[in-house]
Amino acid sequence: MAQKYVGQRVKRTEDPRLIKGLGHYVDDIRLPDTLHVSFLRSMYAHARISGVDVSEALKAPGVVAVYTGRDAAEKIGPVPCAAALPDLKVPDHRVLATDRVYFVGHPIAAVVATDRYAARDAVDLITVDYEELPVVVDAEAAALEGSPVIHEHFGDNIAYRLTAGEGDIEAALASADRRLKQRIINQRLAPVAMEPRGVLARYLPGEEELTVWSSTQIPHLLRTQLALMIGMPENKLRVITPEVGGGFGSKLNVYAEEALLGWIAMQLGRPVKWIETRRENMQATIHGRGQVGEIKIGCREDGTLTGLRYNVVADLGAYHQLLTPAIPTLTGLMLSGCYKIPAIQINVTGVFTNKVATDAYRGAGRPEATYVVERALDLVAAELGLDVVEVRRRNFPKPDEFPFKTATGLFYDTGDYEAALDKALANSDYTKLREEQKRAREEGRLVGIGVSTYVEICALGPSQAMPAGGWESATVRIEPTGKVTILTGASPHGQGQETSFAQIAADELGVRIGDVTVIHGDTAIVQYGIGTFGSRATAVGGTAVYIAIERLKEKAHKIAAHILGADASSLAFSEGRYSLTGAQVAAGAEVPEPVVPVAQAPAAALPEPQTEGKRSLTLQDIALAAHLAKELPPDMEPGLSATYFFEPKNFTFPFGTHIAVVEIERDTGEIKFQRYVAVDDCGRVINPMLVDGQIHGGIVQALGQALYEEVVYDEQGQLVTGTLMDYAVPRAKMIPWLELDRTETPTPVNPLGVKGVGEAGTIGATPAIVAAVVDALAPFGVRHLDMPIKPETVWRIVSQQTSGGGR
Amino acid sequence: MKIEGTHELRAARERVWQSLVDPSVLQRCIPGCERLEQTGENSYSTILRAGVGSIKGVFQGNVRLEDLRPPAHYRLVVDGKGQPGFLKGAGELELEEMGEGLTVIKYAGDVQVGGTIASVGQRMIQGAAKMMASQFFTALEAEAQTQAGEPPPQHGFFRTALRWLSGLLRRIMRGSK
Repeated sequence: MAQKYVGQRVKRTEDPRLIKGLGHYVDDIRLPDTLHVSFLRSMYAHARISGVDVSEALKAPGVVAVYTGRDAAEKIGPVPCAAALPDLKVPDHRVLATDRVYFVGHPIAAVVATDRYAARDAVDLITVDYEELPVVVDAEAAALEGSPVIHEHFGDNIAYRLTAGEGDIEAALASADRRLKQRIINQRLAPVAMEPRGVLARYLPGEEELTVWSSTQIPHLLRTQLALMIGMPENKLRVITPEVGGGFGSKLNVYAEEALLGWIAMQLGRPVKWIETRRENMQATIHGRGQVGEIKIGCREDGTLTGLRYNVVADLGAYHQLLTPAIPTLTGLMLSGCYKIPAIQINVTGVFTNKVATDAYRGAGRPEATYVVERALDLVAAELGLDVVEVRRRNFPKPDEFPFKTATGLFYDTGDYEAALDKALANSDYTKLREEQKRAREEGRLVGIGVSTYVEICALGPSQAMPAGGWESATVRIEPTGKVTILTGASPHGQGQETSFAQIAADELGVRIGDVTVIHGDTAIVQYGIGTFGSRATAVGGTAVYIAIERLKEKAHKIAAHILGADASSLAFSEGRYSLTGAQVAAGAEVPEPVVPVAQAPAAALPEPQTEGKRSLTLQDIALAAHLAKELPPDMEPGLSATYFFEPKNFTFPFGTHIAVVEIERDTGEIKFQRYVAVDDCGRVINPMLVDGQIHGGIVQALGQALYEEVVYDEQGQLVTGTLMDYAVPRAKMIPWLELDRTETPTPVNPLGVKGVGEAGTIGATPAIVAAVVDALAPFGVRHLDMPIKPETVWRIVSQQTSGGGR
Repeated sequence: MKIEGTHELRAARERVWQSLVDPSVLQRCIPGCERLEQTGENSYSTILRAGVGSIKGVFQGNVRLEDLRPPAHYRLVVDGKGQPGFLKGAGELELEEMGEGLTVIKYAGDVQVGGTIASVGQRMIQGAAKMMASQFFTALEAEAQTQAGEPPPQHGFFRTALRWLSGLLRRIMRGSK
């Protein structure tokens, strides 16, 4: 098939409407008579509630209703957790708190009023009698005996313990030439999607139909869960996901507010809307990461690893959201990185704390693993006095060792880690960088180079490994006028699949990209789907589109053969047209082709297909014929559409190398980037511009974790980083020029050869940046620093050592 | 969160002490204090309008004086709740006579805040508390300088600011000598 669009930097078809402000986010959808909801949220991290008095709030102007935990908790089912782990303790998570609150931001009551301001003001009129309880903030302390217990009936704060990995770890560590250990922290992060959450719900009593507009990544899974929570038939519930201003995993969830709004709409018979404020977003939308652990590494004198053990306490928060306990298991799967490590063990202790739940945040467990492995390799290099690149090379599996089985139980299908590494070394001129670093150090300048070679699990995933199915669906239709409609079950929310799926379809069908429309995010229009997360939309959802098109073309081929009166084998498809080949073409060549432009057909009626005497037919001709159904092969069903549910046989394993070069300002501890070079391999690339965009965003969020971001709760469980004044997301001026490049190793897991790229940046970049800062401070004996590495930390190291060293 | 500081008052220690235990004086001097009513020996209920930056609101709470050692020391225990959150804390006040008509108050306390004021204002609270302490002691100085029988001084924001500024100038002048 001619590749006219695939592989090209096609501009996003989504952008004009977004740039012009013509897109519709949840808050842009205005329904008449809409009421607005505001939540009263707990100001204590842990307290018993002895009473909630809403009488004053009910008297406030504009207030229509106030609901408390007692009103709603019995009528709406618990907020679901889809992660199934052995012996997992699952607290009863109601949509509103009843007799206890477990974290700052825990919703207690919902005020419904005629406008947003009246609702918010009335929240202040509710009085809650709190009786404070001891607070559990520190995850490690939560696991200790004697800690206050959050969910008393469980007896302790340990939600689960899990041990995974293969190989004899004890023997591997015991027999190693050297053993190293290091405390490793992946701090809590806030996903901070630009658009906070938002829900609009409308109930039509006549039709008995509830429609919920929500800013989510998973409209169909949400529909199923809401139907169960609210107790209504799933086929009377419709979830619509309009434009979504970023998710990063924080909207891969089912939230209390979504169910509550649906239920309130049914109680009041009027539409209700809630748009999350940024403060609520920081308090009550899931956080990411939150792992505190220790690694033990065994290695030989040549730098090859014999074993890796990671004992980790995962800070789950007070409740499980959809995937909360499962995230650390992804860390366990990924602990081999892109290396041959014969023995690996992870021991996870998932603990409850008086904080909002952690859950999937861009990378979801894999950035944590990559950070652990990459820090381990750097520690080995420092211990043995080897170059960080050389240590990595010595631990890589060679290209002929694929498919490669890890001690974490995964099969890496393809990979050529040295190729990506070599390209990154060449692009950064690594040898020269090291020489320059040497000279800089002689001048007293603090320059550091950090290298990270990563692999990640993408295209989540085979259904066997997923809590709620890992396939994705697509329907491709050619309408009677020849326009192509794609319905995808993936629910893209900023990734640009309206463009990339149209590229695939336009090439495969030989039509103009402008003739393809991609529809998603409406459960009443689109067949069931899973959603967009885990770098899966193109690798799994795009493949579903591709195979649906192939199915559709099989039918079109038969129709074309029937109409042209030829044998199917004598037809070939090219440029959107089925043509007779070989002898039949020669014979048919004498018949002049009638040309009847569609425009000449009577406007009021569908044009008749002009098939008489033709030796080729366009898809448009065939689509019309298929819908008019007068000239179809016997027993063929009319219409021209195909639906396919694609089940991947494995994950995909994109990989790459990131190199960061930083210089430290001695007087201020400020970290300045000199270079940032990345080579990523996400398999075949549909649209390089979209891939670059994903890498850019990922690196920026990784940079946030490495240097700036950290959710801080004080010892009373109060959220100190409650606004964007206190929680430091990277600003444009903090971001270096990113020198991006690629290697392209297609995966055999799907026919497109696509692996996925949504999370690569956050996975590859964090360790590279940390390594660069550590390397810059190596002359001070630094081998590791905890994130976020703040100027203060750096300055203390530099200034203490400088004054101590008598400079 | 630790809050501490010292403040110099141009008034005799005895007078300062009397002002510090007089609920009507305290009510006039505490910025934003709308009510201070005695509920028992050395305990009061209060309504306070206060805030940090854009986070403002009304707090209802209790104030208790403990460990009174006139005229040198007491311990202040506060807890309050309102729409912007809650605060509770305790602190020690030490009064030292630094010569004729000059008293230095040292204060040191530990305060916990919760709710919106914690998530939005925490990093500004120490600054705000210092400012409130400054306002309070400046007003208290004026009260302590008032002779018996005189009407109590006026304290509005600008008056207090002017007094604070003139006190600052005095100290600077003295320091430069």
